[in-house]
Amino acid sequence: MTAQIELKNIDKHYGAFHALKNVSLSIEKGSFVALVGPSGCGKSTLLRSIAGLETITSGDLHIAGKEMTGVPPRHRDIAMVFQSYALYPHMTVEENLTYSLRLHGVGKTEAKAKAAEVAATTGLSALLSRYPRQLSGGQRQRVAMGRAIIRNPKAFLFDEPLSNLDAALRVQMRKEIRALHDRLGATSVYVTHDQIEAMTMADWVVVMRDGIIEQQGRPLDLYDHPVNRFVAGFIGSPAMNFVDGVIAEDGRGVVVGAGDRIPLARQAEPGRKVVAGVRPENLRVAEGAGSFHFEVGNVESTGSATYLTSKDGALQLVQTERLGFSVGDRVGLDIDPALVHLFDPQSGARI
Amino acid sequence: MRRFLASLRDGVGFDILLVGAAMVFLIAMAGLPLIYNVLMSFQQVDMFTLGSLIRPWAGFQNYIDVVREPAFWLVTKNTFIFVFFSMGGQFIIGFALALFFAQNFPGASTIRGLFLVSWVMPGLVVGAIWSWILAGDFGVLNTILKGLGIIQSNVFWKSDPAFSIWAVVIANIWLGLAFNMLLLSVGLAAIPRDLYEAAELDGANAFQRFWTITLPMMRSTIGAVLSLGLIGTLQQFDLFPAITEGGPANTSTVAQYWSWQMSFQLYDFAKGATISVMMLVLVLIASIIYVRSTRHEVRG
Repeated sequence: MTAQIELKNIDKHYGAFHALKNVSLSIEKGSFVALVGPSGCGKSTLLRSIAGLETITSGDLHIAGKEMTGVPPRHRDIAMVFQSYALYPHMTVEENLTYSLRLHGVGKTEAKAKAAEVAATTGLSALLSRYPRQLSGGQRQRVAMGRAIIRNPKAFLFDEPLSNLDAALRVQMRKEIRALHDRLGATSVYVTHDQIEAMTMADWVVVMRDGIIEQQGRPLDLYDHPVNRFVAGFIGSPAMNFVDGVIAEDGRGVVVGAGDRIPLARQAEPGRKVVAGVRPENLRVAEGAGSFHFEVGNVESTGSATYLTSKDGALQLVQTERLGFSVGDRVGLDIDPALVHLFDPQSGARI
Repeated sequence: MRRFLASLRDGVGFDILLVGAAMVFLIAMAGLPLIYNVLMSFQQVDMFTLGSLIRPWAGFQNYIDVVREPAFWLVTKNTFIFVFFSMGGQFIIGFALALFFAQNFPGASTIRGLFLVSWVMPGLVVGAIWSWILAGDFGVLNTILKGLGIIQSNVFWKSDPAFSIWAVVIANIWLGLAFNMLLLSVGLAAIPRDLYEAAELDGANAFQRFWTITLPMMRSTIGAVLSLGLIGTLQQFDLFPAITEGGPANTSTVAQYWSWQMSFQLYDFAKGATISVMMLVLVLIASIIYVRSTRHEVRG
């Protein structure tokens, strides 16, 4: 595997604002990489820097082995799908698709043939003579994708492409984008604030916050082994529960509040203050007394799963069984010690 | 009666009332004078019939007389020069300035705002100032051109028959520049930035982006600016009395000034009305183009 996009020590300042702090990232050829993080984390800035729409303050950017710092976007051979789609409103679907080909001097008949081919793969064949304003959101999305793939670029950049679609369409387009990526053997960089999109679509997830990369890795590695409290809380839905506590004297558990105890699978430093993290789906309603308790504040049933929220709102539990609890019940919980994460209360780093 | 009052309060009646008020105003202040003017162009008007509505019918005699006037073709030529070059100058320089101020440099919007000064100033004042600038013996323009070595001796802008119409054109370009720039700036600002970014990634250079994105996206704005420009130029009157008074020997007389001279200096109201009806036809064509261009507006 070779790196298709190589970022080394990228810094970006907007005046006094430090948007990207020493970011290094290597994107393999043929991989689907998701940049994910809360708004303002620098993920879009990073994407736009790769495209050349933002100039980087310092650092190195290579695309397909060529130095790209200072190269204008039109010479980078990269395609981007915008959040707003950025379709040319005064051009038909076909003209939108063939715009880049026409700019590069491709003949009319060849461009038309290529547009027909791309339209067939994106399901736009019947819409070629329509204008963007005559299309639905999903169709516009497809045109934006078609416009990107028609050029066979070195990489595809996606800037939150699904956020303007309704939930059902979003799930469908997620699969289509991934399928398209696999079929083309393309290299894709996908920016989203939705960690589910990142987890389901990407084979490499990069979690960013405040201009730095907090963690990168395969989706399930991030889920199973978050390096800090931020990543642990960001990846997974519903979010991980965090409980403040102290390591018990025997070092095999975390003592929480009045006598509750979260068991640990390993020895920890007794007396140390920690934050224990447990995913809602890893909490289990105890058959006996249970090692840990909470008072039910809210019960939500979707049919396939039941969500219990504690009275203070700090804890959430998800079970696939239908639970007959009601508000005010006291529930005893069992916790698999292997699934408990420990974090430092100050730094948030994994212990 | 109750139902009528109720519909006035919250129904179709209220809508009709509001539209009706505007319509009454329009008909009284614009529609009737317009019709009266058209009517007058087909009548024999003299001092004795000035006060009456029904006068001897003249048919197209007034039109024939106007075309046979010795000054007619000169005035027509002057009008076309004035309209074409005023609009061209206002539009091209206005578009260039709008593009310039659309670049985000510090103070761009402030400086753009200062250009509005020319729009706020009364035409007579602008005319008086340009009259000084263009003055043959002491004008600033001649001094500058001589200093740059472009001309050797003074150009008498206002009194040389070869230049007199151009003197008014120059002043009019300055006067209408801000209006053109402002409308075009608004049009430019309405084009989403990401279209340019998408075009850039698609491989378009600056010229191609202007040609394939900016111009087509500005179509309706350009249509509006040009047709409003035509109307504004045909309306322009103040600069003529202030700079050349149509002279020398009618070499800077344009239709609207001629019409005024006919009616209010020679008291030949029939000819004055006839000239203005001829202009009305031109303005009407421009208005139709304008309405059509705004109707076909492209929206993303």
